[in-house]
Amino acid sequence: MPKRIRVLIARLGMDAHWRGSIMVARALRDAGMEVIYLGNQLPEEIVEAAIQEDADVVGISTLTGNHMILAPEVVKQLNTKGANEKVVILGGTIPPDDIPKLKDAGIGEVFGPGTPIEKIIRFITASS
Amino acid sequence: MTDSMKLFNSKALKNIKERKKAWQKQAFDLQKKRQQDCHTLSGIPIKLLYTPEDISDLNYFQDLGLPGEEPFVRGVYPTMYRGRSWTLRQLAGFGPAEETNKRYKFLLKEGANGINGVFDYPTLRGYDSTDPIARADAGRGGVAIDTLEDMQILFDGIPIETISTSLVTCQPICNIIVQSMYFANAQRRDIALDRLTGTSQNDFLMETAITIGPEVLHPKYSFKLCCDAIEYCTQHVPRWNPVSFSGYNYRESGCTAIQEVAFVISNAVASCEELLRRGFDIDSFAPRLSFFLSAHNDFFEEIAKYRAARRIWCRIMKERFAAKDPRALKFRFHVQTAGVALTAQQPLNNIARAAYHGLAAVLGGAQSVHIDGYDEALCTPTELSALTALRTNQILQLETRTTHTIDPLGGSYFVESLTNQLEEKIIELLEKIEQMGGVVRAVENGWVHKEISDAAYEYQRGIESGKVPVVGLNCQRVAEEKLPMDLFEVPETLLIQEEKLEKIKKERNPDQTRRALDAIVDCCREDGNLMEVIVDSVKSYVTVGEISRALKDCYGTWNMPLF
Repeated sequence: MPKRIRVLIARLGMDAHWRGSIMVARALRDAGMEVIYLGNQLPEEIVEAAIQEDADVVGISTLTGNHMILAPEVVKQLNTKGANEKVVILGGTIPPDDIPKLKDAGIGEVFGPGTPIEKIIRFITASS
Repeated sequence: MTDSMKLFNSKALKNIKERKKAWQKQAFDLQKKRQQDCHTLSGIPIKLLYTPEDISDLNYFQDLGLPGEEPFVRGVYPTMYRGRSWTLRQLAGFGPAEETNKRYKFLLKEGANGINGVFDYPTLRGYDSTDPIARADAGRGGVAIDTLEDMQILFDGIPIETISTSLVTCQPICNIIVQSMYFANAQRRDIALDRLTGTSQNDFLMETAITIGPEVLHPKYSFKLCCDAIEYCTQHVPRWNPVSFSGYNYRESGCTAIQEVAFVISNAVASCEELLRRGFDIDSFAPRLSFFLSAHNDFFEEIAKYRAARRIWCRIMKERFAAKDPRALKFRFHVQTAGVALTAQQPLNNIARAAYHGLAAVLGGAQSVHIDGYDEALCTPTELSALTALRTNQILQLETRTTHTIDPLGGSYFVESLTNQLEEKIIELLEKIEQMGGVVRAVENGWVHKEISDAAYEYQRGIESGKVPVVGLNCQRVAEEKLPMDLFEVPETLLIQEEKLEKIKKERNPDQTRRALDAIVDCCREDGNLMEVIVDSVKSYVTVGEISRALKDCYGTWNMPLF
């Protein structure tokens, strides 16, 4: 049996909205992936958990607007810890202008409001 | 019921039944070609046509009443919008208090007649802007409040003795601190507390089920803090609505219209029980309990929802709590148009969406209305977006003439039938919660979370399958979208808050600060009313973070059973 894809999902910083991240978590689980759902965390704890849990993909969610400060930090710290094989994806209310900047910073993909979850599943399956 | 009390006599009903039969055959053949599965967003099947048959049992005075009379289905006031229009209460808050103060003044100058102040993520969860976990979120989603000084700046030059203020404090842990600061600021300005009018959100479900933060209080303590504020206002701030049960936010998290009303009412019932336990008379506090509901896409279901909520609340207050003050029987509510229904795609379409939502609120008899900004799926509203939203509200109020007669949809076969069906389903759910031991238990055991999450998941699947059409998202899309407007950027907040906090910590009296925090800890231990203590504590410039830390240390934190 092939190894199931392990996805860690966390909310960045103080983000209080759980709807999006829980919907994605449920859909990934229904699609046969293993999902580890963290609460609110800063990049350092997210990275630590991703390494400990041996996650293939790190999914971070934020609707507060803190993404330009905190999301690149997750990638940076993963690289520092030698865990750059992990794919980082970001979901939330991300203004379109920020998307190229986030991708330049190493975020694998950015899923804005209204993204079909099917698209997220396809991306994860293709990149793991 | 005797035939004489019925709105339709049996002969007329028989006639309708017969003629409808013939019509139905023809309509059925036509309809078959269009295989449409029609039901409300909460799943109630909708017929092609409603006639007197669907409301043949309606007893006018028992089921509807006149406006301002029981069971208030037609409205809570005798003259409704002819007497007084709904309050134009546009939400505002971002960055440091200095910036939000300017936005408040701008909205008031443009004709808003109430303040609706929202606080940033750290304030809502009881963190100072400078806390490591808060720094990246300072000033986001609302205004940053760290000490009483920020509250003083926020309302500087605003006549709080005459204007009503809604404090969107969301969770009780924020409310007990921020509302205390609002009161302390009034006292500093020599305004007696009994002159203040306004509302605070203060809903324990917000803290423990609807939104989530790093350290959450156990539901029973969050609920206690909520009730402390109700008790305090009953005694000292009689014109203040100390709680606004926030069905709006439950809805934003994904629940249905039925769950929205069942959860707010079960929450309000729990508060009533607790205040009675504390020795208060139902009529002393219940007139000030208020509600906050959403206006989502299903136009008629939303209108019927508001009407059903009024009937249910009136009956519960009368039959279960034996309330005598007519004000205690009135379900008064604020409406915000559904943010979750907005799209980031073709964002100007949101102006039309929010206008329809606002119209539903007004046809449903709301006491105050906020219309969302068109850019809210992407950012905090810009000044242009906020102004357009306010103007949408004003167009509704001044141009559409929907205000001239009361409850214009009352008597509609469809709306009355839908009101009855919603009422029935809401009561079913209320009974289920009751059997579980009440809403606090239903949160503790994760049932509320699961209910909402399941409903949200089903809705999401509906959108993905195309069963729930969303213009610009799963239909009528444009290939290469270009954003037609500028987005809002949060002004620098952290550095400003850091400077203010540093200065305050240097200048405040350390003994006073310690005594203020000790008093809070003692109050927790003695199970006293925390608002009594915190209104004074904040005057020593203890910070939001220091107070909430004291509370969390005393009460411990709780893991929300989310997943």
